[in-house]
Amino acid sequence: MRLFLTLILAGLIALPTAAMAAPTLEDLQLQIKALSEELEDMSELVEQAETHVAKDRINWYGDLRVKADAVHYDDVTFNPGVKVDFDAFAANMGAFSTPLTALDGTVLTYDETASPNATNVYNLLVGNGFPAAAAKNLTPLTSMMLANPGMVDGFLAGQLTGVKNFSFPVPQKTYDIDNDILYSTRLRLGMKAKVSNDIDFTGRLTMYKNWGDSTAVKVFDSWDAFTMDGTNSGNTTGDLVHVERAMFIWNDIADTNFYLSIGRRPSTYGMPTNYRENEQRGGTPSGHLVNFNFDGVTIGYKLSKVTGVDGQTVRFCYGQGYESEYGNGELFGGIETEDTHLGGFNIDLINDGMHAVQLTAFRAQDINDGFKGVFAFPTAYAPLFAPTMNADMQKFPTFNFVTRYQPSATIGNINLAGIGYAYEAFNGASFFGSLGYTGSESTGEAGMFGGMLSDAVFEAQLNDTKDEIIMMPARAENDKDRDGYGIYVGMQLPAPMGKFGLEYNYGSMFWTPFTQAQDDAISSKLATRGHAGEAYYVFDITPRAFIKVGGIYYDYKWTGSGSPVGEPKEVDDVLDGKAYSMLPAIDTAWDAYASMTVKF
Amino acid sequence: MKLQKLFVLVLALVFTATAVLAVEGGNSRKGKYLFKKNCKVCHSEGAEGGNVTPLSKTQSQWDRMFKKAKHDPKAWENLSEKDLLDVNQFLFDHASDSDQPETCG
Ligand code: HEC
Repeated sequence: MRLFLTLILAGLIALPTAAMAAPTLEDLQLQIKALSEELEDMSELVEQAETHVAKDRINWYGDLRVKADAVHYDDVTFNPGVKVDFDAFAANMGAFSTPLTALDGTVLTYDETASPNATNVYNLLVGNGFPAAAAKNLTPLTSMMLANPGMVDGFLAGQLTGVKNFSFPVPQKTYDIDNDILYSTRLRLGMKAKVSNDIDFTGRLTMYKNWGDSTAVKVFDSWDAFTMDGTNSGNTTGDLVHVERAMFIWNDIADTNFYLSIGRRPSTYGMPTNYRENEQRGGTPSGHLVNFNFDGVTIGYKLSKVTGVDGQTVRFCYGQGYESEYGNGELFGGIETEDTHLGGFNIDLINDGMHAVQLTAFRAQDINDGFKGVFAFPTAYAPLFAPTMNADMQKFPTFNFVTRYQPSATIGNINLAGIGYAYEAFNGASFFGSLGYTGSESTGEAGMFGGMLSDAVFEAQLNDTKDEIIMMPARAENDKDRDGYGIYVGMQLPAPMGKFGLEYNYGSMFWTPFTQAQDDAISSKLATRGHAGEAYYVFDITPRAFIKVGGIYYDYKWTGSGSPVGEPKEVDDVLDGKAYSMLPAIDTAWDAYASMTVKF
Repeated sequence: MKLQKLFVLVLALVFTATAVLAVEGGNSRKGKYLFKKNCKVCHSEGAEGGNVTPLSKTQSQWDRMFKKAKHDPKAWENLSEKDLLDVNQFLFDHASDSDQPETCG
């Protein structure tokens, strides 16, 4: 604007000479008057614009994606069971065999002729030296055996010593699921503000919903159906707007190449997942290892300014993923978990627009058996764990009470490391490859869903009213260190009207990255223990709008993808009934999708 | 909605939508290379033309600059029309009002 005004002034000065020929002095005076009036008007306008700019503290931008997914699951198997320490069970036999009485003190009995199983229970007890009359008493043990024929068979076969599988009294079920159409809308509002010369604020608000649902809570059938801090921007949570990111960046601290950034981190949609998202790099850490919201700190050093290598940056990142005290009923003094901290390095060796090499090394310290979160209690669990609640809940099969979960045990640590390389050719083609490693260490502790990549061993104990045997997690089955590996390769080729992409990733049995916030409809494809392949076509309509059509195929080899809790089982073993899974196990699945994204 | 219907709808959308495709632009990746090779000599910190990066201007400001060739033409002699289009595309694609990488610096 200033340049413009200068030009006008220059014009004014030049005017008399240029217009020397014809106009009279009077004409000129009139012209000058008109011009200065115009100038006055203009400076008023400029002032208004300036005031507006000064008051416009935040710069908004964003994108909107609408997506349709056709989702299909093959051979989903629900075969719940737990591991029980039957030696500890035997040690408690006396207490478990105390007869139950009615209010008036009469001993309760069962009818040993009512079913073959009841007869078996009776014979088992008599065979173990119980007097005939005592063997008919209803005790916590007999009522448990009456409900679990498999257990009686096990006792009869003399197998129930040591740690053994204990199946719940629900038959194994295997089924396919078709969801022909699942629509979702994702709105992201980015914010930027200049706080001062060296300090910037940036943030992003996100709403991600599937159509026709604004409950923000899902029935817990997988770890993706769990509304929690780390993943709520990548899992549909209704029409609520979440603060996905909010941080300041303080650059060139004390005139050095150091910078500091604190707040809710840009730790989702990192390289090389930006190709399939058809956007710029969306976060700092490798998207192959981390796609998870964190609150934390980054101290970075722009090494490129010293070495001259484009984009070379070293970053130390630190964050907290779980707070063990505050908000957990701390004042009752019964907390037994630890805070989970994450720390490590994110190094861009080079990022010059043609070659990008990224090194990642992280350690997640004191991981618990889950995070704090909210879910709707699955009705399917009531008969397994809560017979008393089930008595009422079965009358309201679709009323899922919403519950806040918090973990109960600190199960161990995970080290993550990765190296990724991406090449962008002049002709518009891109190729990338990434290798990831996850290594776990176990404390040997376990919660209900297990310990660190190990199952929980349950011990039987009497409930508070001493009339029911309940199974409580006592420890992890093992405290072994586990190594997991993942590879991720892909390419994107220029194609008519846009680009065509192919991607493949594999995760080994113990592959345990933190990518659960990846917003794929079925589950984060990069967390897959097994194979996942994707093909897509992006139609670039304008630089700010595109349509993407594609599909992902998942072939799960092991259960528990994306979770450090519980021992991964071969999916084939769960299908064959040889292994249990507390959550439904998926064998294969595919997701065909079409989306349109507009950026503004 | 049935799956087939959806895909027909999407395809229809794609073909009507792509009819309004923006004019064929330059090659941004090549433009970056050319920018580094040809412009950075005079346009890095302390050099005669002062530091220039894509962030120095907005998208339309870059387009205006290239359209009006507002530059000492001698400095751009070495670059063909196609080269300049590529540089223009690169500067446009990474201008201050373009999508930026969403990293923490
Ligand atoms: C031979 C040296 C030289 C080369 C090569 C050169 N420039 Fe410049 N450029 C200059 C000088 C000198 C100025 C004027 C600086 C001033 O006015 O302070 C300038 C000014 C500019 C400006 C500011 C003009 C404005 O209107 O704001 C831009 C932008 C620019 N150049 C871009 C480029 C680009 C893009 C290239 C490569 C295609 C390039 N220059 C190549 C020397 C060069």
